[in-house]
Amino acid sequence: MQRLEKSFYSKTSMYAFFVTLVLFFTVWIGTGKFQHIDMALLGYLLSSFIFAIGLTVRMCSWLLRPATYQVVKRSLKNLKDKKRVKRNIISILKTAFENIFLQKFIFKRGIYRGVQHFLIAWGCIGSFAITFGLTFGWMRFDLVDSDTYQIVVMDLPTITMKAHGIFAEMIYNGLNITAVMVLVGVCMALARRIVDKDVKVTQRFEFDLFPLYLLLAVTVSGLLLTVSYTFLDGWMHHYITLIHQITVVVMLVYFPFGKLFHLPIRPLATAVPMNYQEEWKVDTRPCKKCGATYSSDEQIEDVKGILQAQNFDLQLADGSFLADYCPACRRRMRVMKQLNMEAPKGNPYGPIQTLNGIQISGFGKKRSDEFYNIPKEEEKVH
Amino acid sequence: MRKIMYLEFERCIGCRSCQAACRECGGHEAKERNYVEYVDFMESRQTYPMLCMQCKDPACARVCPANAIQITEEGVVLSAMEEKCIGCRNCTFGCPFGIPKFDFEANKMYKCDMCYDRSKYDIAPMCASVCPSDAIRFIDFDEMQALRRRRAQMNLVEGKKPQEGNKWEYVPEFFGVYTD
Repeated sequence: MQRLEKSFYSKTSMYAFFVTLVLFFTVWIGTGKFQHIDMALLGYLLSSFIFAIGLTVRMCSWLLRPATYQVVKRSLKNLKDKKRVKRNIISILKTAFENIFLQKFIFKRGIYRGVQHFLIAWGCIGSFAITFGLTFGWMRFDLVDSDTYQIVVMDLPTITMKAHGIFAEMIYNGLNITAVMVLVGVCMALARRIVDKDVKVTQRFEFDLFPLYLLLAVTVSGLLLTVSYTFLDGWMHHYITLIHQITVVVMLVYFPFGKLFHLPIRPLATAVPMNYQEEWKVDTRPCKKCGATYSSDEQIEDVKGILQAQNFDLQLADGSFLADYCPACRRRMRVMKQLNMEAPKGNPYGPIQTLNGIQISGFGKKRSDEFYNIPKEEEKVH
Repeated sequence: MRKIMYLEFERCIGCRSCQAACRECGGHEAKERNYVEYVDFMESRQTYPMLCMQCKDPACARVCPANAIQITEEGVVLSAMEEKCIGCRNCTFGCPFGIPKFDFEANKMYKCDMCYDRSKYDIAPMCASVCPSDAIRFIDFDEMQALRRRRAQMNLVEGKKPQEGNKWEYVPEFFGVYTD
């Protein structure tokens, strides 16, 4: 393995190479040794390869971050732990259903935002599923006889269906349905970005608006294709095909490097119930100072590890770490330090004790004589 | 952004208008992002306001597994990006000052962003613009330096002078209001 790694420029390039190789192999199988390859989709195929390479590179650089690495490492360790099988399965299923499929947390940020995101997300994922299936040749349609179509998945014949049945129509129009979903979602999102002044505070054109315009261009040009061949007898069809292809290529190349990259990192949310918080909103670790629960042991261990990996020295004089205290205690500790109130409280009627022994006149007049460096009377006599 | 935030804990009177103002800020969704707490309730009724330090190298951003905490070009550390935040709360426990807050319902972290829409244009953040006792101030860097010098001078009345080896001992440390 080490020798294999050494023969590449870097680990990332090795992974990218193997991803490309595997994809190429699946194309080879799916298209029956390139017999059924769809030449009209060649541009899409090439950009999909670039998309896969870009995604691999971004995933690798993301996993290189100490924080991500630590969390992923713990997740993998917990996944292998046989005692935690039940907790693992529950957290994976729960995250997959509530967090990824239903996207409940976005609906709680607002119904409008929830609907908008749900439409964009599932429209995009559906479109990706269909287009990748077709461009990589994993899926194709064969004409069995003049009235029957058959879906061929990975060069294996599967379902047959009537060429003009309801099921067949739904499959043919799958991309149109998902495109309409994305179109509605993107229009809602753009309207929100234009109307809502709050989101304008931190929004950036290249990060927040560009992907929306890109998705809009892709869906509009894609839907125009359908309009062109159904209602306009293929008017301008060829040019629209080219425009659509360009927009899709730009989107696929942009995907791993922009806002849309939040899609492949979302499954990490499983780590929260799996590693850190078994029950929602229930903390288990008590604060070292006040005893209130604020986190879990595993999470604090991770946080300390991540901070140490990046040379953050947050250890106190007594050997404990700032992460051992709850956030409220941390705030208080800092203020008490700054106000010099941490020291043990002495005689409230005596002069104020300060760290440097310097006082403002008037706070407490009486001082020990050493402070003034005046030789004592007895010493003078002798 | 040429101005800076200047906090004087001793000046806080605990009126919590900074928190009320924070709730009004655009993008804060009616939730305050700053704190007003008692220093040591059993000893005194002294309260203190607490905001984000806007670290140059923020621990919260470093412990975020999703890389969701971004810093603007002015140096303001923003709340976790909503699309990236996975809701693990590492930032809350990594922050040495205990600043980030977490919204369990919406599954996102939110923290003081110095009212980015205002401070971007050198307008005082909401909390600083309402504080009646000047515990939170949004002032020029030079003004802050003058205030700090004045505080240090108050410690020199007895004639001791800071030396090269111990000058950090002369930062103000009293309980009391020093500025005019």
